[in-house]
Amino acid sequence: MTMTRRTVVGLAVTAGLAIATFPAMADDTIKIGSPFNVTGGLASVEAPALNGAKLKAKEINDAGGVLGKKIELVIYDTKTDPTVIAATGSQLLNQDKVVASLAFADSDAVLAMAPQFQTAGVPLVTPGATSPKLPDQVGSDMFLACFGDNVQAAAGAEFVLNKLSGKTVYLLRDNTTEYTTLLAKYFKEAYENGGGKIVLADDYKHGDTSFTAQITKLKALPEKPDVLYVSAQPDDIGVVVKQIRQAGITQPIVGGDGYDTPLLLSVGGKAANNVYFSTHAFMAEDSTPGIVKFYQAYKAAYNTPPENAFAALGYDTVGLIVDAISRAGSTDSAKIRDALAATQGYQGITGSISYSNGSRVPAKTVSIIGVKDDKLYLAAEVTPTWIAKP
Amino acid sequence: MNGSRRILLVGVAIAVMAAFSFTAPAMMNDYFVRIITVMCINAMLVISMGLANGFTGVFSLGHMGFVAVGAYVSGVLALSDQAKASYLPDLPGWIAAIHLGYLSSTLVAALVCVVLAFLVGAPLLRLSGHFVSVATLGFLIIVNVVLVNADDYTRGARTFTGVPLQTNLPWAMGWLLLSLVILARVVYSPKGRAWRAVREDTIAAQAIGIDVLPTRLSAFVIGAFFAGAGGSLYGHYLGSFSPSSFYFAYTFSLISMLVIGGMQSLTGALIGVILVSVLSELLRNLERGFDLGFVTVPPLYGASQIALGVIFILIMIFRPSGIMGDLELSFGRIAALLHTLLHKGQKGTNT
Repeated sequence: MTMTRRTVVGLAVTAGLAIATFPAMADDTIKIGSPFNVTGGLASVEAPALNGAKLKAKEINDAGGVLGKKIELVIYDTKTDPTVIAATGSQLLNQDKVVASLAFADSDAVLAMAPQFQTAGVPLVTPGATSPKLPDQVGSDMFLACFGDNVQAAAGAEFVLNKLSGKTVYLLRDNTTEYTTLLAKYFKEAYENGGGKIVLADDYKHGDTSFTAQITKLKALPEKPDVLYVSAQPDDIGVVVKQIRQAGITQPIVGGDGYDTPLLLSVGGKAANNVYFSTHAFMAEDSTPGIVKFYQAYKAAYNTPPENAFAALGYDTVGLIVDAISRAGSTDSAKIRDALAATQGYQGITGSISYSNGSRVPAKTVSIIGVKDDKLYLAAEVTPTWIAKP
Repeated sequence: MNGSRRILLVGVAIAVMAAFSFTAPAMMNDYFVRIITVMCINAMLVISMGLANGFTGVFSLGHMGFVAVGAYVSGVLALSDQAKASYLPDLPGWIAAIHLGYLSSTLVAALVCVVLAFLVGAPLLRLSGHFVSVATLGFLIIVNVVLVNADDYTRGARTFTGVPLQTNLPWAMGWLLLSLVILARVVYSPKGRAWRAVREDTIAAQAIGIDVLPTRLSAFVIGAFFAGAGGSLYGHYLGSFSPSSFYFAYTFSLISMLVIGGMQSLTGALIGVILVSVLSELLRNLERGFDLGFVTVPPLYGASQIALGVIFILIMIFRPSGIMGDLELSFGRIAALLHTLLHKGQKGTNT
């Protein structure tokens, strides 16, 4: 009995190992790494990004592929765990031998994997990690397919100044994450550069459930601010907005792409009216032609409309990498990197992508989305004129 | 087996492991080298956790707190001047002026953890049973909150990055072997017997003259030393981490390795680490979907965590005190095992 059980376990482990270590060898495809945190804390943002990427890969292959070959996304779930992310990076480079990779929508995750790609000289493009510092932190093989936080903060500042005629702002930020602290810093720089005045800056912590202290201070201000700018993570924003509105504060609330989550409307409810946020694209059936086409294809493939703009970013990132492979005329990683760096005016559905003056963060148009009558609408498209340094 | 032969065998085993750790990077895929490196680090963390939790009966949930302190202390000390200036501009001058190498920053981190373990352990280890678990969990939470709020030193909840990537297989294996040799010496010495006596019955232990608090504290402090060193190795392996990297998720993954392998056995802890690591890597690769020729399994992300949970439950049902229980896998035992197997085999062929 024990021997049979042992034999069965042994066989199962051997079979598992065999499958795990010798994946089907298909040399006629071009392999592009595609690790995402499909489970864990980042799942709500990265699962749509992966779905978008898969959709684009399928479209490219249906149209004949690139350089006469099909592309193959090498997909891994990295479980929002830095150890798994680091191991997966090595797997992609040494086992799957990808020629380039897209990865993640969060800078922590990117930083856990990117140094290996830099050492190996394989280009890595992140669809959604918006820290403009990433390319300098990692090196010449690191690219962003989305705008940096300094760009969306500048767009937000110009929107407040020009469209909302806000001369004074109350600035509230979550001081515990990279994204929210940077976004607030860039907003302050751009807003003050444009002649605005911050009447009060205050902090809270990620996951706080009561904002009474901050709201009391805000209400006690002798000079009422025209606009509130709140730099928040997706899971906090609904609660923040609700409590501010319950305190009887009706001024417009403005923020970044962390607001691009169904939670804004589902948690915020009516309180979300008169809220504006900067993001990568407006996901709706009445958006730009590119988005509408994507919206319908996504809905047909996954039985759900695109959850947020990260789906479109995943879609664009695959397109961007394949465009570089085609211009490089080669699957050599160094040549793909050079072609990527030379990208000028790649037309994605989230806007046109160009890497100018050696920058590896694209200058893109920022969509400002507003909430009116419990519905999202495209309030403005902004190309900021003055952008804070990363 | 006599003493000199055992020492010889241990020496040979260490030499083989050392030779393996130096030649492996040249012989096999970097991915496997990384998995083994992480296994070595985790093994060091788990066996040091077993000192208090398994041998002394103080089920501490605060081990990860020391790992976090180790990673951050050595990270701050090992950061290059340029990285310090850009990531930690508000660091007090006297700390910013210190720049240590890999080994020295690891040792300093481990010693800081020793001091911390004294301060925390002296009051907390008077407690027993569930109370000590909750109290040490409190320590872990305090460490996390301090790391998140001490912005000037840790960048707060933001990613701490730029730590030189210096942990390779020889270093990790070296630290593991060092900790194994030291801990095996201590655990099976009179000191270790005192630990087990305290675990089994504090009153009886006191009656034969064992002072409970210092005995528990010694296990806790030695464990903290290796936790701090392991934290530093982990920090230098990943290069970037945040306070949430060293919190409940990692704590429970270490505890599961310890409990599955056997809490009261050093080699059991090792087996637990190897089993859990290999299984989770295997399942993580399997959940991507595979094609067996006659049947194609689609990707099922998250299935690996579920399968792992079920396997853990099964192990706990069939072997409640872990795979090894309180037995050690010694050379003598391996020899005896081989002997019975051989004997059985012979009997099998005879009949």
